[in-house]
Amino acid sequence: MTDMIEVSGLTKTFGDVVAIKNISFSVAAGEVFGLLGPNGAGKTTTLRILATLLRADSGSATVDGHDVVTEDETVRAQIGVVNGGMGLYDRLSGREILHYFGKLYGMKRNQIDARIDELDGLLELGDTLERRAEGFSTGMKQKIVVARAVLHDPPVIFFDEATSGLDVMARRSVLDFVKDYPSHNRAVIYSTHVMSEVDELCDRAGIIYRGELIAIDRIEALKEQTGSDSLERAFFRLVERSHTGSPNTDQKTGQKTEVSA
Amino acid sequence: MRLWMIFHVAGKEIRSTLRDRRAILSNLLVPLLLLPIVMLGLPLLIGGLVSQQQETASQIGIEGLDNLPDALRQRLEAQNIALQATDTPEQAVREDTYSAALSVPANVAERIGQGENVEITVYTKPGNLRSELDSGKIRSAVQSYRQEIVRERLEEAGLEPSILEPVTISTVNANTEAEQASGQLSWLIPFFIAIWTLSGGQMTAIDATAGEKERGTLEVLLVAPIRRSEVVVGKFVATLLFGLSAALMAIVGYILGGTILRSLFSDMMGDQASEFTQVMGGSLSVGPLSVVLLVVSTLLLAMLIAALLIGITSFARSFREAQTYLAPLSFLLILPAISLQFSELLDFGPLIYLVPVVNALLLMDDIVTGSAGALPVLLTWASLLAFAALLLDFAYRSFKREGVIFRT
Repeated sequence: MTDMIEVSGLTKTFGDVVAIKNISFSVAAGEVFGLLGPNGAGKTTTLRILATLLRADSGSATVDGHDVVTEDETVRAQIGVVNGGMGLYDRLSGREILHYFGKLYGMKRNQIDARIDELDGLLELGDTLERRAEGFSTGMKQKIVVARAVLHDPPVIFFDEATSGLDVMARRSVLDFVKDYPSHNRAVIYSTHVMSEVDELCDRAGIIYRGELIAIDRIEALKEQTGSDSLERAFFRLVERSHTGSPNTDQKTGQKTEVSA
Repeated sequence: MRLWMIFHVAGKEIRSTLRDRRAILSNLLVPLLLLPIVMLGLPLLIGGLVSQQQETASQIGIEGLDNLPDALRQRLEAQNIALQATDTPEQAVREDTYSAALSVPANVAERIGQGENVEITVYTKPGNLRSELDSGKIRSAVQSYRQEIVRERLEEAGLEPSILEPVTISTVNANTEAEQASGQLSWLIPFFIAIWTLSGGQMTAIDATAGEKERGTLEVLLVAPIRRSEVVVGKFVATLLFGLSAALMAIVGYILGGTILRSLFSDMMGDQASEFTQVMGGSLSVGPLSVVLLVVSTLLLAMLIAALLIGITSFARSFREAQTYLAPLSFLLILPAISLQFSELLDFGPLIYLVPVVNALLLMDDIVTGSAGALPVLLTWASLLAFAALLLDFAYRSFKREGVIFRT
């Protein structure tokens, strides 16, 4: 499998605060990669660098072979982002919002309409298309947010705390979408602090803690490494190990991840 | 920058603003109606009040009613004054029993007949409009009475009344026709244009920047393959459009107030109301060249303000915070506008036309009064354009700064 996302030695500081330190990982086509960590661990910073919104102090990253700094516009055309903010333009209808973004991605009107029909089948957009977003429930908002992110059929999709604030039904439909969305030729990074979601959706996961990637491996391998029966237990054991300085190994690359004391 | 992308962003902002009823009210209706209300409503109201005051019989206190000569009594009554006897005129006025009062000494007619000088005291409350109007009526009646006595005394002495006025003064209005027509408060016009440009663009600018941050849509917009410069210029174009539309509505309102409605209501307005309207802005008469100069100056001022709005509001985290940042801007416009009243007394030379905003207000005042020269026009336009470009560049740089975009 070819790597769609390659991240090498990314470091980013905000003033005196080190947000991420020497982060490296790669995600192959057809893979759903989990970025797991508590709030403030550096997940969003990492994704914002990959989405060209932030610039790393050092290190490099490519998306579908394009450098996130020197080819930022090309990278942005290749990605879709779903975040937990669920921000929409209140005075526009779901269809108008999708048309606005579709044109930003260079799509023609008829292409956008055809794609909206397709996504209506996948996400059951229904009423949300013709109603203004100001009257949407959180679940309706998230449907349009997801539709907006995949409207241009990007090869790379980032989900950043995508189920945050959703009720149980809306959360389930997002998870089902990620699971069912055809992904043989695209890479997905699913970033969350909810262990069960990573367990359910991801092939591999990187565990990010206090700005450092302390472990990266297949989900089952992470459990095996730590002798845990759940990802949550595995997570806490890996965090404990990171404090004692034991190295964790990525079974995909065989690379040892440096662990800070 | 791709032009179609700029218009795409601007189009979305325009559509979004047009769906906001508050924006329609503040951008289009209020500027359209405010000037006619100020220019017509206020004169009509004040003129009406003044006329009413003149027409209704004023109750005036008088000390020494029996001493009042008939000739003076007739003149007072001709002023629609009803005299009420009082022993304490000063106290009566102080306590608002009467709006004004007068005191007439004993044997007035006899003493005047003997050629003596008689003193009549008028009690008034300066600063109280009703009291001043009524004491004005008393003064007017006494003045007329005095002139009559002077005329009689001169006749008795065999002299012509003109002997008292060896020198007369005549005044000629040296203003141009445009200056005469524009009224003494013609600075109100550029002031209203500036204020409405600011007010009209404000809501769009806040919604397009701080509003996007607050809703969490800015981040999603910036991960689309659009350049920051296109985002900034698109939002600037929408802000400019609404600023201009509000200013245009204010101008239409001015024309409505200054000409059409004034002619319709001229019968209803007394002389004083017409005078007041003339002071407020008169009947503006500008030629086609002045209209072009006015439109270009308005456009450049609006560009400057729109760029300033986008630059400032992009710092704010929320709609409310953006409004707080923008509040002092109105003062920035009000201060130079007020100083325009004293522009004849202040001589800064042509360099004043390089100071942004102040120059636009001065120039628009010059255009309205028909006294705009080529140098002020060139300096003002160059300065406005340069500062607008600088501010737009500042806004663009703000949009590129991580600290500004993610300041939520």
